[in-house]
Amino acid sequence: MSLLNFAELAVKTCQELGADETEAFIQNQQIVEVVLERAEIQNERFKTQSGIGIRVIKDKKLGFAFASKLSKESIEETCKEAISLAKVSVPNPEWVSLPSKERLPKTPEGIFDPEIANISGDKMLNLVINAYDAAKGYDKRVDIDDGKFSAILNEIAVANSHGVEAQEKTTRIEGYLVCVAKEHGETSSMAYEYDISTILKEFLPEKIGRSAAEKALSSLHPKTVESFTGKVILDSDPASFILFYPVISSVNADNVQRGRSLWAGKIGEKVAASKLTVFDDGLMPKGVGSLNFDFEGVPRQKTPIITRGKLEGFIHNSFTANKEGRKSTGNAYRESYNMLPMVAASNFVIKAGKKRLDELIAEVDKGIIVRRFSGNVRPESGEFSGIAKQASYIENGQIKHALGETMISGNAFQALKNIIDIGCEIRPTEIRAYTPPILVDNIHIISKQ
Amino acid sequence: MVVVEVLKKSLKKHPEGYVELRYHKRQTFNISVKDGKIDTLNSGAVEGACARVLINGSWGFASSTTLEKEKIDKMLKDAVSLAKSSKPKKKRVAKLASLKPHVDRYETPMKKDPGKAGKEELVSLVIDVDKAVRDFSKTIVSDTVTFNIVDDNLAFISSEGSEIHQRIVRCFGSVTVVAREKGNIASAYESIGEQSGLEVLEKTPLMNVGLTAAERASKLVSAKVAPAGYHQVILENRIVGLLAHEAVGHCAEADLVFGGSFLANKIGEKVASEKVTLVDDGVFPNGFGTMKYDDEGVPTQKTVIIEKGVCKSFLHSRETAQHFGVNPTGNARAWNFEFDPIIRMRNTYIEAGDYTLEELAEDIKEGFFLKGGLSGQADFNGEFMFGTQEAIRIKNGEFAESMRGVTISGNAFEVLKNVDAIGKDFIMRVGLCGKEQINYVGMGGASLRTKVLIGGAK
Repeated sequence: MSLLNFAELAVKTCQELGADETEAFIQNQQIVEVVLERAEIQNERFKTQSGIGIRVIKDKKLGFAFASKLSKESIEETCKEAISLAKVSVPNPEWVSLPSKERLPKTPEGIFDPEIANISGDKMLNLVINAYDAAKGYDKRVDIDDGKFSAILNEIAVANSHGVEAQEKTTRIEGYLVCVAKEHGETSSMAYEYDISTILKEFLPEKIGRSAAEKALSSLHPKTVESFTGKVILDSDPASFILFYPVISSVNADNVQRGRSLWAGKIGEKVAASKLTVFDDGLMPKGVGSLNFDFEGVPRQKTPIITRGKLEGFIHNSFTANKEGRKSTGNAYRESYNMLPMVAASNFVIKAGKKRLDELIAEVDKGIIVRRFSGNVRPESGEFSGIAKQASYIENGQIKHALGETMISGNAFQALKNIIDIGCEIRPTEIRAYTPPILVDNIHIISKQ
Repeated sequence: MVVVEVLKKSLKKHPEGYVELRYHKRQTFNISVKDGKIDTLNSGAVEGACARVLINGSWGFASSTTLEKEKIDKMLKDAVSLAKSSKPKKKRVAKLASLKPHVDRYETPMKKDPGKAGKEELVSLVIDVDKAVRDFSKTIVSDTVTFNIVDDNLAFISSEGSEIHQRIVRCFGSVTVVAREKGNIASAYESIGEQSGLEVLEKTPLMNVGLTAAERASKLVSAKVAPAGYHQVILENRIVGLLAHEAVGHCAEADLVFGGSFLANKIGEKVASEKVTLVDDGVFPNGFGTMKYDDEGVPTQKTVIIEKGVCKSFLHSRETAQHFGVNPTGNARAWNFEFDPIIRMRNTYIEAGDYTLEELAEDIKEGFFLKGGLSGQADFNGEFMFGTQEAIRIKNGEFAESMRGVTISGNAFEVLKNVDAIGKDFIMRVGLCGKEQINYVGMGGASLRTKVLIGGAK
């Protein structure tokens, strides 16, 4: 039986058991993984995982049950559990309906690579060794601490009682290394580097190794500077977490509707510097979050979020869209089959600027560059504070020295308005935001001095 | 258990090297109520098995959610072939500290087994908390209240003859509150939980932490962000566990020690003020990270990392124990059957002292009382950080106004050296730690006084 057959069986079973509406979501993953620990290859893993999540609605009451076993008997049992949970639940007056069947767009290009789907354990090890050798070969002072490389084949299927049925396969390869540099009894801060791609050919393990090594080395022999408020270049990763995690949270329609977004009622208003344009693109070729349908089976699309600093729109799943009588933007997402769909970005793309990172640095008279951020960001209020890691002090357009024991703090929503310039080197980050380096003004730079 | 018999048969057929097979069934039940409406009422089970083999010093690992005999045989074969094929590419030869095989059973001590409880009662409890939180103040615009039960059935069998069955039950809940007023927004978060049955709800009512979070959010909505700088602080008992875990615990994990963490080569040396005794305890009663055996079948224990300021021990797996020439401490833990065990903390805490909160504040001329934890991280050069939600200003020994908390950071060495007084208000709390794979941990301690860098406003 195909995944879709199992999903259809679950829908049919629940409807026969008396559900008003049913949705089944199935996920099957095959993962080949290599783990580095204590500076060496520790282990290689083959993993398969699959499961089904069944959502039923009865008299506006919701029940959800899941199981990791895909068999006729297990699905029947899970259907019964979902229905019994719906019975003890309380009606949600805001419930309208599961999505109805729509024509799906073409499958985005470059989201499935048979070379990743069929990767051997040996090939995977070689990729890791390439990264490892690149880091070790970069400089003798560099040590690798840990890392992990994973090749993932992900197959999903979704069906519901309104005739939605969709099934697709995607692939992804990702890897990271953590390096430190050691010299004269001093250990640098931990430097992290990663790459992620849907296509094997475009995955660059050597680059991970070199860049992790370079970052570790450049954070040796740190100094502190007196606290000041001023310019900060946030590299892609910290820019994504500090600036765009609050943005994603604030344009999530669920947060908007629940009073958790400062941007509620602000569509059309200026929320950021004019240089900033942001969209959510679920159909982007080779996007790590791309697919022709979302995890409720609704067509994915490209949704404008911020255009030249002006707030354009929010992202919805079918529940939040129904509440407002509008169409879902195809942003239903589940971390796993055992979770209900929530609203999430697909590929959150920040439009690239023109300058390379070195050109951004050249623009700064006095400021710092932060390449890793170890801290907390409050998504509702936009407050952020934390340690600036792999950070350097910049004066007159030149990097002067590494910074140690230095924190940065500020407010993301203020910072969006204080964007001076946007870099051109875009990369996908952990929160699926395709982010370039960003130069921002008015950030607090804090040291003990 | 049928599955365990299948695993045993498979094990017999593959006598090569060291083999361990684990079975894991995780049954979960989740309720979440958002703004007065039931958002989630979930129940389900994830079940699977894994094989980890060590052949000529090389590890191989495979897991499966399909548990038929043929699939289990294939899983073991996959693990064996990975161990063999990867051998030429590994520089390190893994060896294990010796271990007496154990045949045993363990179950979380429980008064109210959640497996037998009615769901309706729990649903109405969560609904009641949600209502009380929203009624707390007009400024509260949104809340999420959750309650969760995770019931783990674990089996461990090894080619050395161990057979261990454990049932670990964890119950935990959380409350997130968002308050708004005149264009300002503030959120607060609190949680409860332990390894036990539903009696946790009597010991630490969800309602109490719900109201704590509601009060904090509504208080902070009009408050300013705490000022930046290097300050003397009191860390509330609820967040001292974060200090124990982030600042010290990670640096005592033998895999990080190996890489040169700040505790490397420090056994027997003074690394903290003599007020500090810091423990990672695998047998702490009702601890969120308590297990009788770790996922390598090693009996857990109370491991003293720092005793009166002196570094005493690291946290080990069988492999690192062999490397360091010590006994394994029972710290090898796996999140589930999809992962091989790595060195993790269990319940990490700083032992209580004898100060009251007022006495801790007495000697502070200018400082902050920091409350409410957020996430944290540690670097192995000893630099750590974690977030706080609220900072109450202390002036000349007196508590003054509340401000918004921010992330604090410091060097573990310095911060531990600066601990000059510890309170008597010891508590143990729940935590979730991410290190390659996530896991449940306990974090505990009593309020204490030290100095940290506050990443606040100008």
